[in-house]
Amino acid sequence: MSHSHDHADLTPSNTRADAAIARIAGRMLPAAVVLLAAAAWLAWKGGHANATAKLYLVSFTFILAISLGGLFFTMIQFLTRAGWSVAVRRPAEALAANLRWLWIPFMLPLLWLWWKGGQHHEPGAHALGLDVLWPWANLEHMQQHEPAEYENVLKKAGWLNPNFFVLRAAIYFAVWGVLATIFFKGSTAQDTVGGTATTERLQKLAGPGIILFGLTISFAAFDWMMSINPTWFSTMFGVYYFTVCCTAGFSAMALITIRLQSLGALKGIISREHLQDLGKYIFAFGVVFWAYIGFSQYMLIWYGNIPEETTWFLARQVGDWTPFSWILILGHFVAPFVFMISRWIKRWNVTLAVSAVWMLFMSAIDLYWLIVPVIPAGLADATTYAELAEKNKEASVGFFTLATLCTIGGMFCLFAWRTARTLSRNYLVPVRDPRLGESIAFQNI
Amino acid sequence: MTTIATPSSTSGPASTEPSVAQTWGLVARFANPADLVHAAHEVRKTGYRYWDCHSPFPVHGIDPAMGINRTILPVVVFAAGATGCTLGFLLQAFTNSFGSSIWALVWVTGYPFMISGKPLLSVPAFVPVMFEVTILFSALTAAFGMLAFNQLPELYHPLLKHPGFGRATDDGFFISIEARDPQFLRSKTGEFLKSLGASSVEVVES
Repeated sequence: MSHSHDHADLTPSNTRADAAIARIAGRMLPAAVVLLAAAAWLAWKGGHANATAKLYLVSFTFILAISLGGLFFTMIQFLTRAGWSVAVRRPAEALAANLRWLWIPFMLPLLWLWWKGGQHHEPGAHALGLDVLWPWANLEHMQQHEPAEYENVLKKAGWLNPNFFVLRAAIYFAVWGVLATIFFKGSTAQDTVGGTATTERLQKLAGPGIILFGLTISFAAFDWMMSINPTWFSTMFGVYYFTVCCTAGFSAMALITIRLQSLGALKGIISREHLQDLGKYIFAFGVVFWAYIGFSQYMLIWYGNIPEETTWFLARQVGDWTPFSWILILGHFVAPFVFMISRWIKRWNVTLAVSAVWMLFMSAIDLYWLIVPVIPAGLADATTYAELAEKNKEASVGFFTLATLCTIGGMFCLFAWRTARTLSRNYLVPVRDPRLGESIAFQNI
Repeated sequence: MTTIATPSSTSGPASTEPSVAQTWGLVARFANPADLVHAAHEVRKTGYRYWDCHSPFPVHGIDPAMGINRTILPVVVFAAGATGCTLGFLLQAFTNSFGSSIWALVWVTGYPFMISGKPLLSVPAFVPVMFEVTILFSALTAAFGMLAFNQLPELYHPLLKHPGFGRATDDGFFISIEARDPQFLRSKTGEFLKSLGASSVEVVES
C-alpha cells in the first residue's frame, strides 16, 4: 500500500503559484483587448448587425459553457461525495467562479437592445432591437414578412416576449452567480478554516443546486439559441447545450491541471490517475454522450420527416454547411473516439493536452454550427432535396474568417485572464478538504 | 497437510517425499495488504513462475509487484465491437437495401422495401441497430473473455481443501507457490516465505 499522501507537500511552495499564474493573466489581458478591439472594428466595418450579434452569441455561449461545465463538475462531486476528484476540483471551481461576472457581457447588450427595441419609432424605420437575433421580438415585422411563421409564433408570445425574456435571463444569471459563489467561497474558505462543516454544507446544497442548474441551462439554451428560429423546437436542445458545457468545461479543466503541473506546482498531489479520470470525463460526456444525444435528435427529426422540423437541419446541409457538418461528426466524435479510447492517451499529459485543446476547439465549432446557419428562404418551393441544395449551394459558413477568430479568440482570452487571476490568488488544490488524502492516494484499478 | 515446524524437518525436493498424496504446493498467510505486496515483489524477484496471490479485495500495486502485464482484453473487446458494428450494418444493408441472395445453409433473399420515401440504403436508420449489436458483441466478449483469460470456470482447485484458505474471502492475504515450479524446494521455499513475514506456511496436497 502506498502511503505517499501522508508525505504530500501541501505547503504554498507546492500548492500555490501566484506569481507564475499572474504572469499568464498579465499576457491574456492585452491579448483580449487587442483581439476584441479588432473584432469590434471588423464588425463596425462589416456593418451586418445580425451576423455580428450571432458571432457575439457564439463566443459568449462558448465561455459560458466552460464556466457552467466547471460548476456542474464541482456540484456533481459534492453530490456524490466523491473522493478521487478533490485534488482536481479547484480548477473547476475557478472556472465556475467566472459566473459571478459573466452576466455583464450578456445582460448589458441585452438590456440595451431591449430598451432600444421598446422605443417608439416611425413605422418602417429600422431600429435596432432584440429582433437583431430573435425574430419573435418584432411581431409586426414578422406579420408583414413571414405571415405563416407569425401565426405560429403569436401562440408562443406568452413565453417569447421581450420583457419576460430579459427577466428570465436575469434569473438564470442570478442562479448561476449564487451557486458559483457558494461553492467557490465555501471551498476557498475551507483552505483556512479546515474541518468538515463546509464539506457537509456543500454536499447538502449540491442536490438542489444541480436541479436548478439543469433547469436554468435548458431554458437558457431554449431562449438564447433555439428561439433564433422561433417556429422550430427540439426538447433535446437543452441537453445538447449541456453536452457543450461538459465538453468545453472538462477540457478546460484538464488543460489547467496540466498547465499548473508544468509550472512546477502540485507535485505528488495530482498523478496520472487523476489525468486519466479527467480524460474519461471528456471522453464520456464530450465525445460519446454528445454524439448519442446529437444523433438521437437528428434521427427523430430525419425519420419523422415533418417539414417544420427538418428545416433546421436542412439549413445545416446545404452549400458550405455540408462539409462543416461533416467536420463536426468526424472531429467531435469519430476522430476523438478512436484517439482517446486507449488508456495511455488519457494518462500521458501530452496526449491528454492535445485531446483537450482539440475538444475545446470543437466546442466552439459546435456552437457556431448551432447558432449561425440561416434557414433557406423558399423551402416550400423546392420539391426535392437536390433542388434545394442546388438553390442554396452558395450558402457560406464564414467560420475561418478574421472576424470570427478575433471575436471567439478575444472572448476566450478575456475569460482566460479572469480565470488565471482567480487561480493566482488561491490555493490550487483544496488543501484542507477532509477527502484530500483519499484523492491523492487514488488509483485506477 | 502438514505444518512446517522446523527447517530440518524436511530435506530435498517434494517429489522425493514418501507421501501418498502429491504435494501441490505451499500457501503462506500474510497479515495485511502491504506485507502481501512486499512479499509478492520478493517472490517475483527470486524467479518463481508458478505462484499466485489471494486477497479478499483488489490490492493496489499488486499487479506491478507480481509482474503481471495489463490484460489484452480491451483490445479483444474493441475488435469484437467493431465486428458487431460491421455485421449490424451488413445485416440491415442485406435485408433492406438489396435484392441479392446469399447461401446461408438455405438460399436467403433480401427484401428491399421503401419506407416513408427514404432511400433503400439509409444509414441513419441503421445506426440504432449497429449501436446495439456493437454493445452486444462487446459486452458478451468482455464477460466471456474475462472468464476465458482467467481460465474459469474451474470447478476444483487444491487450495480449496485447505481449511484456513477460506479467510482469503474475508481477512486473509495469501501467497501460494506450486510444487511444479522449477525453483520449488519444500524446505527452502517454506523458509523463504517465512523470511518474508508470513504468519504461517503450510503444505497443500493435490
